[in-house]
Amino acid sequence: MSAVTNVLPYAVAAWLFGVGLYGIATSRNFIHLVGCLGVCQSATYVLLLGLGYRWGSIAPIFYDHPPGTPAVDPVMQALVLTDIVVGATLTALLLVLTVQAYKRGGSLDPGKLRPMRAGGQTDRDRSSDRGRPAA
Amino acid sequence: MSPRIRVALLALSALILLPCAAQVIAGLPAFGSTIAQYGARINAITPEARHVANMVSAINFDLRGLDTLGEEFMLLAAITGTVVLLRGRRGEGMTGRAMHRPGRAVIPRSEATVLACRIAGPLTAVFGLYVVVHATVTPGGGFQGGVILASGTLLIYLGEGYTGWRDAIRSHWLDVLEGGGALLFALCGLVPMLTGAAFMQNVLPLGTFRDLFSGGLMLVENLGVAMAVTGGFTQLFLEFMEETREAEEPDEPGEESA
Amino acid sequence: MTFVPATLLPLTVAIPMVFCAVLLATAHLLPSRVPDILALLAALAVAILSAVIAVQAADKPLVYWFGGWEPRDGVHLGIGFSVDAASGWIAAFIGLLYALTFVFAWGFFDRTHGHFHILMLLFLAAMVGFCFTRDMFNLFVWFEVMSVAAFALTAYHLAESSLAGAINFTVVNSLAGFLMLGGIGLIYAQTGTLDFDGIAAAVAQGGRSPVVAGAFCLVAAALMIKGAIVPFQFWLADAHAVAPSPVSVIFSGSMVSLGLFGLAKVSAVVFGGSDQVQGALPALLIGLGSVTALLGGWMALLQRHLKRMLAFSTISHAGIMLTGLGALSAGGTGGMLVYVVGHGLVKGALFMIAGILLATQASIDEIALRGLGRRIWPAGIAMALAGFLLCGLPLGALDQGTRLVQGALSQQGHGIALAATAIGAALTGAAVLRAAGRIFLGLGPDPGDEAGAPSADEREKANRPLWLMLAPCCILLAVDIVLPPDLIAHALPRAVSAFTHRPETGPLGEGPGWLPWFSVAAALAGAGYGLFRKRLPPVLVRPVHVTQSAPTRALEILHSGLIGDYAAWLAVGVAVIAAVLAMV
Repeated sequence: MSAVTNVLPYAVAAWLFGVGLYGIATSRNFIHLVGCLGVCQSATYVLLLGLGYRWGSIAPIFYDHPPGTPAVDPVMQALVLTDIVVGATLTALLLVLTVQAYKRGGSLDPGKLRPMRAGGQTDRDRSSDRGRPAA
Repeated sequence: MSPRIRVALLALSALILLPCAAQVIAGLPAFGSTIAQYGARINAITPEARHVANMVSAINFDLRGLDTLGEEFMLLAAITGTVVLLRGRRGEGMTGRAMHRPGRAVIPRSEATVLACRIAGPLTAVFGLYVVVHATVTPGGGFQGGVILASGTLLIYLGEGYTGWRDAIRSHWLDVLEGGGALLFALCGLVPMLTGAAFMQNVLPLGTFRDLFSGGLMLVENLGVAMAVTGGFTQLFLEFMEETREAEEPDEPGEESA
Repeated sequence: MTFVPATLLPLTVAIPMVFCAVLLATAHLLPSRVPDILALLAALAVAILSAVIAVQAADKPLVYWFGGWEPRDGVHLGIGFSVDAASGWIAAFIGLLYALTFVFAWGFFDRTHGHFHILMLLFLAAMVGFCFTRDMFNLFVWFEVMSVAAFALTAYHLAESSLAGAINFTVVNSLAGFLMLGGIGLIYAQTGTLDFDGIAAAVAQGGRSPVVAGAFCLVAAALMIKGAIVPFQFWLADAHAVAPSPVSVIFSGSMVSLGLFGLAKVSAVVFGGSDQVQGALPALLIGLGSVTALLGGWMALLQRHLKRMLAFSTISHAGIMLTGLGALSAGGTGGMLVYVVGHGLVKGALFMIAGILLATQASIDEIALRGLGRRIWPAGIAMALAGFLLCGLPLGALDQGTRLVQGALSQQGHGIALAATAIGAALTGAAVLRAAGRIFLGLGPDPGDEAGAPSADEREKANRPLWLMLAPCCILLAVDIVLPPDLIAHALPRAVSAFTHRPETGPLGEGPGWLPWFSVAAALAGAGYGLFRKRLPPVLVRPVHVTQSAPTRALEILHSGLIGDYAAWLAVGVAVIAAVLAMV
C-alpha cells in the first residue's frame, strides 16, 4: 500500500481532534460546543478502528466464514462500542445541562454563562445575563 | 482572554504538537498491515472455547465482561443524572401524567400517519427483538437492539399523540426495567461465584456453534443489557419530551434547597 | 470451600452496583430513609472488604481474573484486578469517606427517590475499580463512570453557577477521557495487550519508541486533568465550589487525588520500563507540581467564597502530591500515598464544615459570615484544627505524608520544589485559618457594605441537627490524627515496593523537622495579615500590596470561567508534556 494510506487514518484522527478542540475553544454556542466535543470523540473512533484494521480481513464474525479466516481485531471493535456508549451518555448529559442553563441564563453563549467568580459578577455581566439571546 | 489569544495559544501548542504527532504516526505500524496479538488470539480460540460466532459479543460479554458491566452502569448513571437534572424543577409528582402546555394548539394527525405508525411500530419492536436475541451469531446485541426497541416506542408518540404515549409508557416501569436489567447483569457476575467459579465465569451450557442459543451466560447478560438500555433510553426520551411540554415559568430553586 | 481472599476482589465493585440497581428498580416503593441506610451499608461493606483485602495483600499482591480468563501462554485474555496493600488501603479509605459522607448527608436528599444515592454508589464502585484494575481499558471505563456520575452530581443544585461549573467540568473531563482512550489505542498498537504487566514487559523490551512516549503523554495528560494540575486545573474550582457539600467532600477528598494515584500507578508500573518516560518524569512532575502548589495556594488566599477557597486549596495540595511522585523514589511515592489519605480526611472535614455553615447560617461567604459562627463554636474548633493540619501541624497522617514527600525532595536536592510544598501548604492553611478566625471569632474589620455576598444566594437544606453533621467531620479529623505513625512507617517501604513493582529499599527519609513549623508560622502570619491588615503600619502593608496586585489580577483574569480558555490551556498542557518528553 502507498505511503499515504499507511498513515492516513491516524492523520485524520489527529486532525479531527485538533479541529474539534479549535471548535470548542472558539465556540459561541453550547449546542455547537457539544457537537465539537462529538468531533473530538470521533477522532478516537477513527484511531481505534484504524489501529485494529487489516487489509483483506473479514469482520470478526464467523457466521458466513469459517473460524480461522483472517479477521480484523475484535478488541478494537469492542472498545469502540464502549466508546460509543460513553459518547451517548456525555451528549445526553451535556444537552440536559445546556437546556437547564438556557432556562436560567437565557443564553447559549458560553461567554455569558459563567461559574461564580472570585469577585462575583460585575453589574455589566449581570445585566447582559438577563438579556434574551439576540438570535 | 480574547478569542484571538486563545487561537494564538492553540497555534503555539499545535506548533509543538504537530512534529510530535508526526513522529508518533510514523512510529505506528502501517495502517492495515497487522493486528495485535491479543485480538488475533481471541479470534483463534473463542469460537471453540465459547461456541459463539460474533467475536465482538464474546469480548463484550465474556472475555471483557467487566468493561461492559461498567459501561452499563455508566449508562445508568447518565440516565439517573438526566432524570435528576431535568426533573429537579418539575418535581417528581408531575411526571406521572402528560403535561399540557396551555395555549399550544393540538394538531390533528393525518390518518396515514396513524396507520403507518401502527404498522411500523410492531415491526420495529420485532426487529429490535431480533437484533437483541442474535447477539452471539450476527452483528447485533443488547445495546443495539435496546436502542431500536426504545426508538420503537417513539412511534407510539408519533401515531397516538403525546397523551397516548404517556399512557403507554410509565416512568416507574422504566425504572424497574432499567434497574432490573442492570441487576440481572450484575447477578450474572455474582451467581457463578456461588458455585465456586470466578466472577462472570461462563458456567452455563455453551450450546451449538452458530445456533441462536449459543454462548451460555452471554445470552442472559445480553438480555440484561437489552432491558437496561430499552428502559434507560425510553426514560431519556420521556424526560426530554416532558421538557418540551413545560410552561415557561420563572425559575424555582432546586428541590433540595430551602 | 476454603476461603480465598482474592474472591473478595470483585465484591468490592459488585456490591455497590447491586445496591444501585436494586435502589433504582424499587426506589419509588421505598420509605424515604431506606436509601440512606442502604447506601451507608454498601459504603461500609466496601470499606471493610477493602481493609480485609489490604491486610491480606500485605505480603503479596492479590490477583483476580474475571470470567476465569487467566493468562494463557503469556497472553492476557481477560481483565484482571491486582491489589497491593497500598491500593487496598486507599480503597478502604475511600469507602470510609463515602460512609461518613452518607451520614453527613443523612436526609439531605430525601425527595429524590434515591437518585442521589444511586449516583454516589456508582461513583464509589468506579473509584474502587479504578484503584484495583490492572487493565488499561478497564481503567478508562472506571475513569468514565467516575466522570459521568460526577458530572450529574455537580449540577444537582440547578443554579446558574452550578450549571456553568458542571458544563466546564463535563467538557474538560470528557476531553480527558478522549485523550486517555487515544493513549490506550497507541499503547495497544505498540504492545498488543491491555494488561499492565503485559504492556510493561513489552515496553521494557521495545526500547525508545515515539509511540510509547506519545501514549504516555496522552494518558498522563488525562490523569493530570483529573488531578487538576496546572494548566489543567481550571475546571476544579468551578465544579467543586458549586457541587452540593457532600459531593464536594468526595470530589476534593478522593476524586482529584485518585487521578494522581492513577498517574503514579501508570507511570511506575506500565511505563516503568521506558527510559524516555522515566527520564522526563522528574522535570515534568516536579516542575508542574511546584507551580500548581503555589498557584493553588495563592488563589485560595484570594477567595471569600469558602468552598471555592477549599477547591483552590485542593489544587495546591494536588501539586504537592505531584512533586512527591516526581521524586521517583520510594519515599516520594510512599509519601504521596500517605498524603492522599491524610489530605482526603482533612479536606473532607473542611468541606463538611462548609456544608454545616451553608445549612445553619445560609451563607458560604467568608465576609458575610463574620462572627456568625459563634453559636456553633464546636464547628469552629474543628475548622481551626483542620486548618492547622492542612498547613502542616506535625500531627497525624497528612503531616507524615508531607514529611516523606519533603524528605524525598530534599534528598534529591530539589530545593525549589521543597520550598514550593512548604509555601503552598502555608498559603492554603492561611486561607482556612483566616476564614475560621473571621467566621467563628468575629475577627477582622467590620465589613459594612461589603457584607453582601457578590455571589448568588446559596443555602442548603437545614433539616439535620448540628451533631449529626459535625460527627462525621470530627471522625475524619480523628482518623487523620490517630493513624499510628509507627505502623505506617513500618509497613510503607514494603507497600511501596509492591505498588511500584520495584525492589524494597531501606527506611524512608523524612524532610527537615523545622519545615512544617515554618509552614504553620507562615500560615498564621498570612491569616493574621488577612485579618488585621487595616491595623498594621502602612510600611508593612504597602510593599505587599504593590507586589501582589499585578500577578493577582493576572491570575483572576486567567480563571475566567470560559470553557474556550480552558480548552486552549488544555492544548498548552499537552504540548508542555510532549515537549518535555521530546527533550529527553
